[in-house]
Amino acid sequence: MAGIWIVAETREQAFELLGAGRLLAPEMETTVTAVVAKGSASPQECIARGADEVLLLAELAPGEPFGAQLPVIEQEARASSPHAILFSATARGKETAARLSARLAAGLCSACTALAFDKATGSIVMERLAYGGAAIQKLAASAAPVVITIPPRSFEPAEAMDGRQGKTRELPAPPPSAVKIVERKPKEKVSKDITEARVIVCAGRGFDKKEDIALARRLADALGGELGATRPLTEELHWLPEDLCIGLSGVQVKPELYVGLGVSGQVQHMTGVRGAKVVCSVNRDENAPIFALSDFGIVGDLYEVVPKILEKLET
Amino acid sequence: MPTIVACFKWVVDEVYIRRGAGGALDFSSVDYKIGEYDRNAIEEAVRQRDAGGGGSVIGVTVGTPESAKGVKDGLSRGMDQAFFVSDPSFKDLEPSQTAAILAEVIRSRIPQYDLIACGEGSSDLYAQQVGPRLAELLGIPCVCFVQKLSIEGGRLRAERRVEDGVEVVEAPLPALVTVLPDINTPRIPGVRDTLMAGKKPVITVKRDELTGTFEGALKTAAMTASSLERTGEKLAADSAGIARFVDSLRKSGVIK
Ligand SMILES: Cc1cc2nc3c(=O)[nH]c(=O)nc-3n(C[C@H](O)[C@H](O)[C@H](O)COP(=O)(O)OP(=O)(O)OC[C@H]3O[C@@H](n4cnc5c(N)ncnc54)[C@H](O)[C@@H]3O)c2cc1C
Repeated sequence: MAGIWIVAETREQAFELLGAGRLLAPEMETTVTAVVAKGSASPQECIARGADEVLLLAELAPGEPFGAQLPVIEQEARASSPHAILFSATARGKETAARLSARLAAGLCSACTALAFDKATGSIVMERLAYGGAAIQKLAASAAPVVITIPPRSFEPAEAMDGRQGKTRELPAPPPSAVKIVERKPKEKVSKDITEARVIVCAGRGFDKKEDIALARRLADALGGELGATRPLTEELHWLPEDLCIGLSGVQVKPELYVGLGVSGQVQHMTGVRGAKVVCSVNRDENAPIFALSDFGIVGDLYEVVPKILEKLET
Repeated sequence: MPTIVACFKWVVDEVYIRRGAGGALDFSSVDYKIGEYDRNAIEEAVRQRDAGGGGSVIGVTVGTPESAKGVKDGLSRGMDQAFFVSDPSFKDLEPSQTAAILAEVIRSRIPQYDLIACGEGSSDLYAQQVGPRLAELLGIPCVCFVQKLSIEGGRLRAERRVEDGVEVVEAPLPALVTVLPDINTPRIPGVRDTLMAGKKPVITVKRDELTGTFEGALKTAAMTASSLERTGEKLAADSAGIARFVDSLRKSGVIK
């Protein structure tokens, strides 16, 4: 058993995963290895932030997906038998982590939100959400390796330290993958990061059409906040960008104030606002689950209620 | 004409889970369902079959004997036949175990297939592992988080959604995809579909007909309820209600 590994595609991921890795490595009296894509975090940056060794993934040929690196990562992991391998829970990270786990016959804790080493039992203890967020599942891994994916922005990024040293090694180019990227359609613009917003007005399926979201935006502006959304609006109707989806498959937010408009309050969504200080809502169905999960809320049609709230806010 | 395997899971409907004494989960009044996104997987399998001018959709599910209802539900959604891999011990399986069981069943009992469709994640654990793990165990290409799919000339073309946009990818068949909710709108089975489902073949596979050991890799040390409940004050949509709402907003100190 040797070390904690992190596998990162971007600089931001590398720093966060190094932060998470450092929660384990000192306790386990072991080293940290950063496996990073070229052009993301530099070896010096990784070493300063806690890596003892940096393995640089070879640049991919055009059309090769990130998953093409799998055989290379697998081979290295077999050679040095790390205790844990951390990935970011992004689309590519989740897929690569699961495939690597299958190849290594390893356990995988998906979307891990808390992480520690339990000296008494010699196991890594992890937490994640289950049943849409209605439950917290605590997992323990005693066999190595254990693979872990971490939702972006769940752990503090590692800070740089002075005087650290480490080795760097370049990994070989992977063999061609069966899956080829024939076209990339980059997102037009990256929308606001709402994870740090103080106030969030969240639009739900209670809006009849895309144009009407303007009403939610007006309330957000009046409250000095940002717009958020439920998954049906971002992933099914595509009325708003995916980065604004709050919940289990979106982002976790922790505003001072969350206002849900036409949001039913399903657990998969509400688990994303568990860190909010005040939760309030407008829903025309008095039996909507969101009311029990709000501090206060208005039973009424959002098309009538929101303009009145706006008016009142102006007085 | 394609042969398509659709994997699905019969899960607890989380809406009915209560918080029991001492934070334990209370499952006493729960109902069950086919996981939300697995319905998209079944629907996509059926659509690809129909787009391919025939062929067949074979559903596979792993679960306890009580999941038999889920098999019928799946068949009512357009599948042609199903493998029901069932044992009382197949409860609370880890994704690694489910994938290993599925892999053995598919390898040993479905000699030829073009595509395997899975949901992006199950509604209960949402670990999003079974699809990609299964692909690896079967040694076939895998494309996760697919929002659009077509099959032609022994290859698939898929739009996969990633954080920085969309990757349009191609892969040779057989391959596995996991699908996102917007890939299609799952049908709601009618009475006729339910009646027809009862006549479709179901092949039950028992634990002792399989050779794998299917050991888990992790231990669930605890599963506790996580309450999101708040005070829940309900206000009317009249002027008094609006005034109280705005007042409460102001009192929260968040706005002026
Ligand atoms: C594995 C999994 C992961 C998921 N992850 C997420 C996630 O990350 N984020 C997420 O949001 N969802 C997620 N979901 C989906 C989630 O279960 C719900 O389906 C979703 O949150 C519902 O969105 P909604 O409240 O906007 O829509 P609905 O549930 O359709 O609710 C609309 C509400 O609007 C009200 N309404 C309608 N018209 C009006 C009106 N004129 N005025 C006032 N109120 C009105 C209705 O009474 C209703 O309560 C996930 C589901 C699964 C299975």
